[in-house]
Amino acid sequence: MKWFNILRDRLRALRKRDSVIHDIDREMRSHLHLQIEENIKAGMSPDEAREKARRSFGNLNRAVDAAYDVKGGGLFETLVQDIRYGTRVLLKHKGFTSIAVITLALGIGANSAIFSVVNELLLRPLPYQDPDRIVMLWEVSPEGRRQNTTSRANFRAWHAQSTSYEHMAAFSDQRLTLTGNFEPEEVSGQMAMPEIFKVLGVQPILGRTLLPEDAQPNSALVVVLSHGLWQRRFGGQASVIGQPIMLNGINREVVGVMPPNFQFHIKQRSGTGRPAEVWLNLPMATGNTENERGRFLSTVAKLKPGVTAEQAGAELRTIEARLSDEVPEFNKNYSAEVLPLREQFFGNVRRPLWLMLGAVGFVLLIACANVANLLLSLATSREKEIALRAALGARRSRIVRQLLTESLLLALLGSALGLGVAWLGIKALPLISPRDVVSLQGVSLNSSVLLWTLGVSILTGIIFGLAPALHISRLNLNDSLKEGGKADSGQATGSRRLRSVLVVSEIALAVVLLASAGLLIRSFIRLQQVDRGFNSDNVLSMVVRLPFARYPEDAQLVQFFNQSMERMRNLPGVRSAGMVNFLPLYGGLGSSTGFKIIGRPEPPPGQGPSCDVRVVDAGYFPTLGIPLLRGRNFSDAELRESKRVILINNALARKHFPNEDPIGQRLDVAMFETPMPAEIVGIVGNVRYDSLIDEAPEAVYFPHPDLAYPFMTLVLRTDGDPTAIATAVQREIRALDPNQPVSDVRTMDQVMSEAVSRSRFNTLLLALFAGLATLLSAVGIFGVMNYSVALRTREIGLRLAVGAQPRQVLLLILKQGLTLTVVGVGLGLLAAFALTRLLTGLLFGVEAVDATTFTTISLLLVFVSLLACYLPARRAMRIDPMTALRYE
Amino acid sequence: MAKAKADLLQGTLDMLILKSLSLGELHGYGIIQRIRQLSDEMLNVEQGSLYPALYRIEQKGWVSARWDVHDTGREAKFYKLTRSGRKQLETQEASWDRLVLAITKVRQATT
Repeated sequence: MKWFNILRDRLRALRKRDSVIHDIDREMRSHLHLQIEENIKAGMSPDEAREKARRSFGNLNRAVDAAYDVKGGGLFETLVQDIRYGTRVLLKHKGFTSIAVITLALGIGANSAIFSVVNELLLRPLPYQDPDRIVMLWEVSPEGRRQNTTSRANFRAWHAQSTSYEHMAAFSDQRLTLTGNFEPEEVSGQMAMPEIFKVLGVQPILGRTLLPEDAQPNSALVVVLSHGLWQRRFGGQASVIGQPIMLNGINREVVGVMPPNFQFHIKQRSGTGRPAEVWLNLPMATGNTENERGRFLSTVAKLKPGVTAEQAGAELRTIEARLSDEVPEFNKNYSAEVLPLREQFFGNVRRPLWLMLGAVGFVLLIACANVANLLLSLATSREKEIALRAALGARRSRIVRQLLTESLLLALLGSALGLGVAWLGIKALPLISPRDVVSLQGVSLNSSVLLWTLGVSILTGIIFGLAPALHISRLNLNDSLKEGGKADSGQATGSRRLRSVLVVSEIALAVVLLASAGLLIRSFIRLQQVDRGFNSDNVLSMVVRLPFARYPEDAQLVQFFNQSMERMRNLPGVRSAGMVNFLPLYGGLGSSTGFKIIGRPEPPPGQGPSCDVRVVDAGYFPTLGIPLLRGRNFSDAELRESKRVILINNALARKHFPNEDPIGQRLDVAMFETPMPAEIVGIVGNVRYDSLIDEAPEAVYFPHPDLAYPFMTLVLRTDGDPTAIATAVQREIRALDPNQPVSDVRTMDQVMSEAVSRSRFNTLLLALFAGLATLLSAVGIFGVMNYSVALRTREIGLRLAVGAQPRQVLLLILKQGLTLTVVGVGLGLLAAFALTRLLTGLLFGVEAVDATTFTTISLLLVFVSLLACYLPARRAMRIDPMTALRYE
Repeated sequence: MAKAKADLLQGTLDMLILKSLSLGELHGYGIIQRIRQLSDEMLNVEQGSLYPALYRIEQKGWVSARWDVHDTGREAKFYKLTRSGRKQLETQEASWDRLVLAITKVRQATT
């Protein structure tokens, strides 16, 4: 009540100061008149009565003031006065204000844009129920490869033996063909145990999710739709519930529709590479051993309250160790891990994101230093005004407060404009962001971002305003009020020192950013230069997936793909055509399969060699420019039916056949239910399949009749632009089977570009920030040198008058600027030595401390700052001695 | 109560103002007169200290104010004790009595 009344009075006083004072005045006067009347009643003459009352009342104005202090005034009113005054100052110095506001807007805008991404990916809760308790369970392979899928048998053991979880569900993403009375379409499906919906705790908007009953043997086949598919294919009609839809040639009944923003896409080991559009029950029935032991399941679980991921991980490793002992032929040396869901989603972007936030923090600091410098320049022209205020009795704290209010105003203006910059940034980020890593769709200027921006702007206002404010308020009254004491006064020197410190810090910060950007750029170039083992020029790729319902026999698959290859080769403009099950650098399932070399002693379980297995035809190698090093390619006969032949790559040949000829040797690759040795007929060049960073894995190539796959990626090398041929290819496929869709039509260059998109994203962003930092420090050093020349006008005039050459003056100024730059670069390099190691992990083929990079960016910065010094230096050179000396 | 002890002088003035209003609505001039009367002309409150104190009391919600026409035909601002003001007066009087009692005891002991 009390606080409310005080606040109400104060606010009233702010809005209607005059009316409040008038009210007090009125009361005082009424008091006075009552006293006068009383005096008259007591027998005084009117004049005497008035005189006596006046005297007894005391100073009317002081009484009003004292009363007003209760009703209004105080900090609040001073603040408003300061804001009014500050606004006037800023409006008066429009040039200064606009430069400062733009500088701050760039700094704050970049900050808010990056923060909005950090907030979305790293801070905001995931859109599931109790997301902090959701974890992913993976196996770790004997070679130490993490996040591996598990088998049905092992999942069952995890489920039965663990005590850490409320619910646990296995799932596997698969591409499915959706057919009906429309164009056949490939959709992404999540085959999942019904418990997955309990783990995630998300309700459908229509119908139901999968239920445990759906997993019973012989229960009806049902499907849950994503909101997107429901809208696209079924017009968003509620009547879809109970309708049949055909997936992979089998009818399933639609039982539910999920909410619009629901998705659960674990990119790691996803067989589809995109969020699911349909959810089907994952059959978990025990069957033959192969079905039980094949590793293809991802596992998600909800921890019991109070159980940590570490505890769950320890338990899972214990269970896995037991499995390794009990079933060594499948589990020898396998381990397991438990990853919190956020770690799973964003673990690989966390470090780069914090680094980017650090980088924009640096940019903002540089902007602050620049604005502080500007404020100091502005202060020079305001010295007299401030001195006058001090002379009239303003305390130092009062002056500092006034100046800080001005900086805060600047900062707030800067952040308002900065939000515009951030908005543009957020719109632009998805255009350059790596598609395969994270989706930036949800990033927006929400309330957290606005709050952050406000906080940052207040902080920056204080950071860049405090030093100048303290400095200026220390001004010596006499010196400032006297005209002419300016040029050589102690303050000017002090201010120059402060300015030099600011500029040196700016340069040092810019060096750190430039060094980091330089390292990333070099990594990026290295990455592009890596010998990836294939030629991506003019190559088009697309995926054809044959549904089991229509192509149940291996022979049908082989025939379809052979026929389509024939048609491709006859298309005009196609130089060569081939196919492979998984393209290089495509992500997805890069799996490692064990093999035995026939005629050599069998290694103990789990310790045999392993390799990457690809299924191809003969055209694949020439189309991607993979060289045949020895032996021969597959023959036509071998591509019509299985002849038990394989090709190996050079890495495998070198590792396992260092001293003998591998041609003619036989390998038994564990891709089949029974041993099926195949003869090596040739050796081809290495291809970096997993990523550009990783060495090429040892690889075995099967001709597709030996290991028929229901899906193949067709690759075509064309004479001209490969995209021009896409429709013709689709027409040919449709001619073979009118119900057959084609998906993922992309050029090999696009595949390449996506493979380096993360690196490109980091590099581009950091280079942008470093560029901004360099620009801002150049502006900073220009400002300081310009000011310095202005201060030294008389001195320089004198030098010129006594015979100094203009060239000497030019060198004098450049030397001064260079000294600042060199000190800044030196300090920056020291900081860079310490800080660039944070980039380890983002770098490729270059050390965190790289002499070439560091030298290059140092020279670049020296060059830029010399350029920035040149204009002031030229001005100094052209000073007219006579004018300068007369100027007092 | 703690406040009354800590800031005796101002608290005393507050109490006197509240006391003078406990007998009925008054304007500022009237409050001064009433205090003077009740104290047998011994206490003379300055206008300069009356109004800030009065405004503070008003902000605390112990009195309410309104403009009205005085019986002389002149307008004046009248103050009236609120319910919480009356309660406050009781508290302050009680605390004042205790203070006087305590001081008296101390003085008697030393003489």
